Amino acid sequence: MTDHFSLPLRPVIEKRDSSDSLPGDIAQINAQWGSFRELNEVSLREKIEAEKDKDPWAEEDEGDKEAAELDSSERMDLLYKRRAEIIQFALQAHMETSFALDFVSLLLSKHNPRQAETSMSPFLKTAAPLGSLNSEIVNPPPRSDASLKDVKSVSRGWRLQNFNNAASKLLNAGSRLETEVVAETKYWDEVLAVKEKGWKICRLPREGQALGVQYGFLEATPIFRDRGLAALRRADDGRLVLDKGLIPRKAQGVRVRVKHKGHIAGCSKVYRPSQDAESIESRILQARDTLFEEELFHELIREARILGSQGVTTRQNLVQVPVCDEQEILLDLVDWDQDHAPEETASSERNVLADAIAHSIRILLTYAHRQNLHRRTQLPPPLAPKRRPVPEYQILRPIMAYLQHKSHIQWLESLLSDLRRVLESAGITCDFHATHFSSIGTLQPSNLIPKVEALARVFLAPFESTFSGTLATPQSSFRVRIRTNPAVPPFGTFYEIFVHLPQFPDVQPPSHIGLQDEVAAVITHFAMLDIASTISLHNPPNAQGVPGKTGRLSWEVAYPHHGELLAVDSTGQSKKMKVNLSREELTIHTYFSSRSETFTRPIVSRSSTLRIQTWRPDLKEPGPSLVEFVAQASQP
Amino acid sequence: MSTLSPDQIKSLEQSRQRLIQLTHSLGSLITSLNQSDPLPSWPSLQSQASIISSNLLTLSTHLSENHDLLRSISAYPSPEFPTRTHGNTLEQLLRTKLDPRVEDWVGRGRKSDNNNTDMGLWGTLTSNSAAGLSSTGQGLSGEGNVARLSEGDLAALWEWAPVEANSEARRRNWGGDFTLEERERGVQSVAAGLGLRRVLEDDEDESEEEEEEEEEDEMEVVGVRKSVTGSGFEFDIAAASGGARQEGVAPVVPLDDILRYMTTGIPPR
Amino acid sequence: MHELLLFASVPSHQHHELLQQLAGLTAMQPRHRLERRLIFKAYRKPGLVNARGGTSREMQGADLVRLNKMLNGGMYYTQVVGPISGADFGSKPSSSGDLDATMSGTDETAGSSYDYDSQPWKLEFRDIPEAGTRSTITARLTASATLPKGDIVTPMSAWGYSFVTEYVVEGDAFIHNDIVIFLHRVLQYPVHGHEPHEPHEPHEPRRQMPSFRDLSPLERTGSYILQAAITVQDGSNQELMRTASQHLFGLREQLKTAVRLEHADRLSLDTRAK
Repeated sequence: MTDHFSLPLRPVIEKRDSSDSLPGDIAQINAQWGSFRELNEVSLREKIEAEKDKDPWAEEDEGDKEAAELDSSERMDLLYKRRAEIIQFALQAHMETSFALDFVSLLLSKHNPRQAETSMSPFLKTAAPLGSLNSEIVNPPPRSDASLKDVKSVSRGWRLQNFNNAASKLLNAGSRLETEVVAETKYWDEVLAVKEKGWKICRLPREGQALGVQYGFLEATPIFRDRGLAALRRADDGRLVLDKGLIPRKAQGVRVRVKHKGHIAGCSKVYRPSQDAESIESRILQARDTLFEEELFHELIREARILGSQGVTTRQNLVQVPVCDEQEILLDLVDWDQDHAPEETASSERNVLADAIAHSIRILLTYAHRQNLHRRTQLPPPLAPKRRPVPEYQILRPIMAYLQHKSHIQWLESLLSDLRRVLESAGITCDFHATHFSSIGTLQPSNLIPKVEALARVFLAPFESTFSGTLATPQSSFRVRIRTNPAVPPFGTFYEIFVHLPQFPDVQPPSHIGLQDEVAAVITHFAMLDIASTISLHNPPNAQGVPGKTGRLSWEVAYPHHGELLAVDSTGQSKKMKVNLSREELTIHTYFSSRSETFTRPIVSRSSTLRIQTWRPDLKEPGPSLVEFVAQASQP
Repeated sequence: MSTLSPDQIKSLEQSRQRLIQLTHSLGSLITSLNQSDPLPSWPSLQSQASIISSNLLTLSTHLSENHDLLRSISAYPSPEFPTRTHGNTLEQLLRTKLDPRVEDWVGRGRKSDNNNTDMGLWGTLTSNSAAGLSSTGQGLSGEGNVARLSEGDLAALWEWAPVEANSEARRRNWGGDFTLEERERGVQSVAAGLGLRRVLEDDEDESEEEEEEEEEDEMEVVGVRKSVTGSGFEFDIAAASGGARQEGVAPVVPLDDILRYMTTGIPPR
Repeated sequence: MHELLLFASVPSHQHHELLQQLAGLTAMQPRHRLERRLIFKAYRKPGLVNARGGTSREMQGADLVRLNKMLNGGMYYTQVVGPISGADFGSKPSSSGDLDATMSGTDETAGSSYDYDSQPWKLEFRDIPEAGTRSTITARLTASATLPKGDIVTPMSAWGYSFVTEYVVEGDAFIHNDIVIFLHRVLQYPVHGHEPHEPHEPHEPRRQMPSFRDLSPLERTGSYILQAAITVQDGSNQELMRTASQHLFGLREQLKTAVRLEHADRLSLDTRAK
């Protein structure tokens, strides 16, 4: 056996026919028991039992076939089994060479005892004295041709077989390398395609060997920011696999619904995942969008929790925001691919509202991101025991404030137009005009803040709208300013009313009014005062001398805040006029009253009514105008 | 019948040396197998295997060179050998019969050669190779009339093959970690651009190896940018970094002197 | 307040690359900074400051109290720092009313102007770094206060401080969580051409700025200093100090293959005036 051969690291995989078991067993017996003499039937039976249970050869074949399907623990078992085999082989080989070494050493110990002793096994040293093996040169019989030929044949056989093995191994490796190259090429092409689309490709922070794509938002809350990274893994065939880790598979998003009078009346658009959902690009996009939506909802909930005092409620997956008595906004996180049947009661107008809110909350979240960047890059305050709390983002509050403000504007507008119509029906002309959201109109371009941020910032500032108008009396005017504060206390909407009544220069309403009823009362009251002064001013030009001289009465305002006017005729008989104004109608009574009664509180019921006139915008037959009425009432 | 000559003892001694080496390398394989769980690293396993293989080869060459001598040495126990108490040991030492497993192995070699002569195994090898499959020549019984190589042809083939394989191998560029285009552009910038570590060819000269170290440094830097707090950050900023560091001028004023100037206005010496 | 610091010297050829790396690390664009820095030195044993200096109307009470504390501890060097902008360089003075300057002011940059009288100042007091305990990191007591604008020599002199010299610091700042990373270098004013026999510094701060191109780096190879600083509200809070050190060490680790951040030689930051 002079040919070299490679050491088989793996046992030669080969179908094992039954005849093969005997030499193996004999070898094993030799190894395990020393010789057959030590072997007896009992131990053999035990061995057979053991073999039955565990036949490494049989399992090996199976293992090769199913290696791919084995789970990790099974693979582990297999690995250890193979390891045991390797050790078994190595021990065997070691033992054989040790025998050979012992033999040569003992043989040499006769001639060179000191050196030879060093390579003898401890067992041999105790068993046999040095030099106890003799050797002689003999003339061995020449080897037969047959045996020489046999040696050659065995040698050639193995050589053939090993060449063959080596060849196929190389070819296998070659083709494996080829598939690998194809797969790698494919993988890198796809990675490059992703990069060329503008995504950031980077190494994974904790897994330096793997690539990742970053799609998250740097300024998001850390728990969301850190999830904005997905590994770009390679499937066996080289396909790019997006390993999203914590990202849910389903596309999710925040849905906005408008509830009107207890019914869902509007719903924001549903963004269905694109048809091309299988491409890597769209999966990255979906991951990004879903991450953003999750963060959005997380921030909505966080903000909603501090808005409990303003009627905002949260549930597991729902935020309810009251806007006014009739309207409520519902926000929830839903799977986009879920079927969302359109509500029957939905109106297109409220769908638009829901959509507008849906867009707004997203814009406001990205604005908050920008604010985070801004804050993060400022000089940090000194390290202090208390960490800077991350304030809740302003997402719901600006929207609530906006909607609230809008509903207040609408209310005031309808109040004022109601009053105007009442007055117009009495022939009084007055007018008002409104500047809605005057605060938004005042956006000033600035070099310090990017335009988009300046735009969003306007919606975080208090909202302001103004109404101004003229009244019946010349030079009389009024102005109402409505302010709604989204973020800073005092929250809510406040009215400021300024009145200019030349007749009553000292009269001014309270500066801050929060309740609509009070606002209505104040405005109506001033309109009434104005009417009263109009009447007093409307004395005919010829009546300016001594009262009663011309026989016409001259009205003077007696109790302005009760809307009462007084006139005394030539006979000393006094007449009273009382003005009543409400949102619905204007009523004027005139009646006699004795002079003495002027000292006491005027009680209408005790007096005999002379005339009564009511003006309402919805009356079919228009009555006399206020001027005509007063003229008639001024007749003595 | 004569005793051993010094030359003969010397050649026996050589056998002993070779056996010591082999025993030793087998022993250390066993040790390292036992010490690692589950297995020693692949490179270490492989290097141990090749050591054993080369030991075997040396031994085998030695044995065949001294075949005639070794065949003519007859060993027998001297009277001092405690045959009675250690008969087994003696038997073990003087055993000439092959271990059954080895016998089996020899048998398989014989069988494989017979297959060849009988069925023309070698002739099928080339077609086998083309298919790149089939681990051994066995199981070819189906292919009856394949060409068969004569003993001479086989010898000629084996003589031709190593030379041919070698010259074929020499024609390949085995250090292909970078494409030609990348080499022209400069390997460092490619590596930095990809943010990946690719080992430069080992046939590069010293200076380039130094550069490789520098390059690794640099990529570590790239790594720094990435391994922060687990999030992404700006990654595509190292584009221009490759050429920037060639001829750097080291500061001549020590940092401490600058700081002293900044603190007290005392100019650096 | 306490300040913990690490420094590294950055050769000029590494500057550009390091800027990019820092931008990547901190995920922000560099903030360019230009500062006038004036060095003052105490010239008399401190006593209670009664003199309120010149125009102290801008100073708030708290600042004044702090100033008194700072300037009364012992004899120190102290820095007065004023932010400037690139446009301030090479421009003619606007408020000085110097006719000659106006006449000769045919600079291209004449559109902008540097107004010394409205230059804001900040006093930055730094104690000598603590010895021993945290030898791997530079730690020192710091305090700062807003000073009157414009002429600063008069009030400083009233506090017992005389002007030593001035220079410009130019660099880029990054914010990395609590750490301020400042990659900067010292620029010196040109030596006056018409006074070649007297190359020494003038004895008061410049009222106008030379062209930026005329400034020369103190370190003539143009190298930069990387300074990583973190301030702690209360230096006696050991836990906070430890946290701050850990943050700095974390940064050192992250940057270790780019630069070697180290503590500075204590004596090079010695602010005591002997």
